[in-house]
Amino acid sequence: MFQRILRKRRSPAPHGMRDYLRKLFLDPPRRDNDIRSLVHLREDGQVNGFMGVLPMRFTYRGETLRSAIGGSFMVDGHEGDPYAGARLLRAFQSGPQDLSLTETANDVSTAMWRKLRGTNLTGYSLEWLRILRPAGFMAAIAADAFAPAALARPLARPLDALLRRRGAPPQWTHVADGEFAQRALISEEADTAETMSLIRTFASTFALRPEWSESELERMVIEAQRKANYGTMVRRKVLARGGKPVGFFIYYGNRGGIGRVIQILSVPGHEGSVLDTMLDDATQRGLVALRGRGQPALVNAMLGRRFAFVHASSSIVYAKDKALLEPFVAGQAFFNGFAGESWSRLLGDRFD
Amino acid sequence: MPQQINADIRAFVVDNFLFGDESEAPADDASLIESDIVDSTGILEMVSFLEEHFLVEVADPEIVPENFDTIARLTAFVAGKRNAKAAAGT
Repeated sequence: MFQRILRKRRSPAPHGMRDYLRKLFLDPPRRDNDIRSLVHLREDGQVNGFMGVLPMRFTYRGETLRSAIGGSFMVDGHEGDPYAGARLLRAFQSGPQDLSLTETANDVSTAMWRKLRGTNLTGYSLEWLRILRPAGFMAAIAADAFAPAALARPLARPLDALLRRRGAPPQWTHVADGEFAQRALISEEADTAETMSLIRTFASTFALRPEWSESELERMVIEAQRKANYGTMVRRKVLARGGKPVGFFIYYGNRGGIGRVIQILSVPGHEGSVLDTMLDDATQRGLVALRGRGQPALVNAMLGRRFAFVHASSSIVYAKDKALLEPFVAGQAFFNGFAGESWSRLLGDRFD
Repeated sequence: MPQQINADIRAFVVDNFLFGDESEAPADDASLIESDIVDSTGILEMVSFLEEHFLVEVADPEIVPENFDTIARLTAFVAGKRNAKAAAGT
């Protein structure tokens, strides 16, 4: 079902993908015996629906909150059995968790969540895009839709060299040579242990944040290293002049391609410098654009840097105790990325 | 009481799924799914309506065509829930 409905492939699901789905949803990074993935059975006993559920603990005002992150929501032939999706989502929300979350709701799922009084979080749901090289960007889009169009990529390079000299920066269509270099801070590669430490440190500035165990966060960070469809991983810490870490970013991408960012973290007040450093890094590596998921804490800094925003999928929260919605609505919740589903290999990795 | 329940459910269906067009209102025993009036999103909207308007609790296994497919079945379902609640309170 996952291969056919969500990946839209006709070929049988590769063994690697079957194994990963089993591992992810039957042995998730955080175990909670009362919060599990859900299947829906037809009257004849056949499975025709699924909701993948990842338990996660959060902390808010000194209290530990149980949460369930729902994704990979699918129903086989949902038009013929509209009750299946309704029952799955309702059963998910009726679980023992304090917070029901998703960051990958498509338009249909979003409408269903809203009918069950879920709160769609605009600031977390916007997808951002920063074009670095416009001709290369168009070539990458064309190649994604029609593989032979990749042959046009070499032609885009001289065109971009020309375009990047036009207009005084900042321009939303491109970045000029060295545009971010002067404002960028020093960045260095971060290993797994440093990454875990930095994520914990920067997450601590949020009012509501995950309460990862050591093994839980380590597994997420390690699994996030593999996203072959997105490209090579770039995972760097951003340092102030004295060497103190003030930010962190992780993205995936190859020269001539569109990079996918899954997490940007910053000391409050330094968001702009962290963004400049990341954009400078991606420009120097030859990427044609970067895209990623919105974070309310970053939006102000993005506005002055010519980012574009579109909506692709929604981040939604549901809580029986409405007071728990406040940090999400106020943008003070650490959500998406390593507090969501983006770290998983289901998003961006190849299994065949 | 079932007449009032029926009228409230009918009004909800007309207002929310038929843009207020009474002339398109289904018969009491017409399938809301087969008439293309309600889909999976609409079923959830109906669940929230029943819980908030009639103050009844809908359990997940109760979200089935036997309870939700027609206005008559919805009426009987809500009436049954209310009767059970009243009996439990006496």
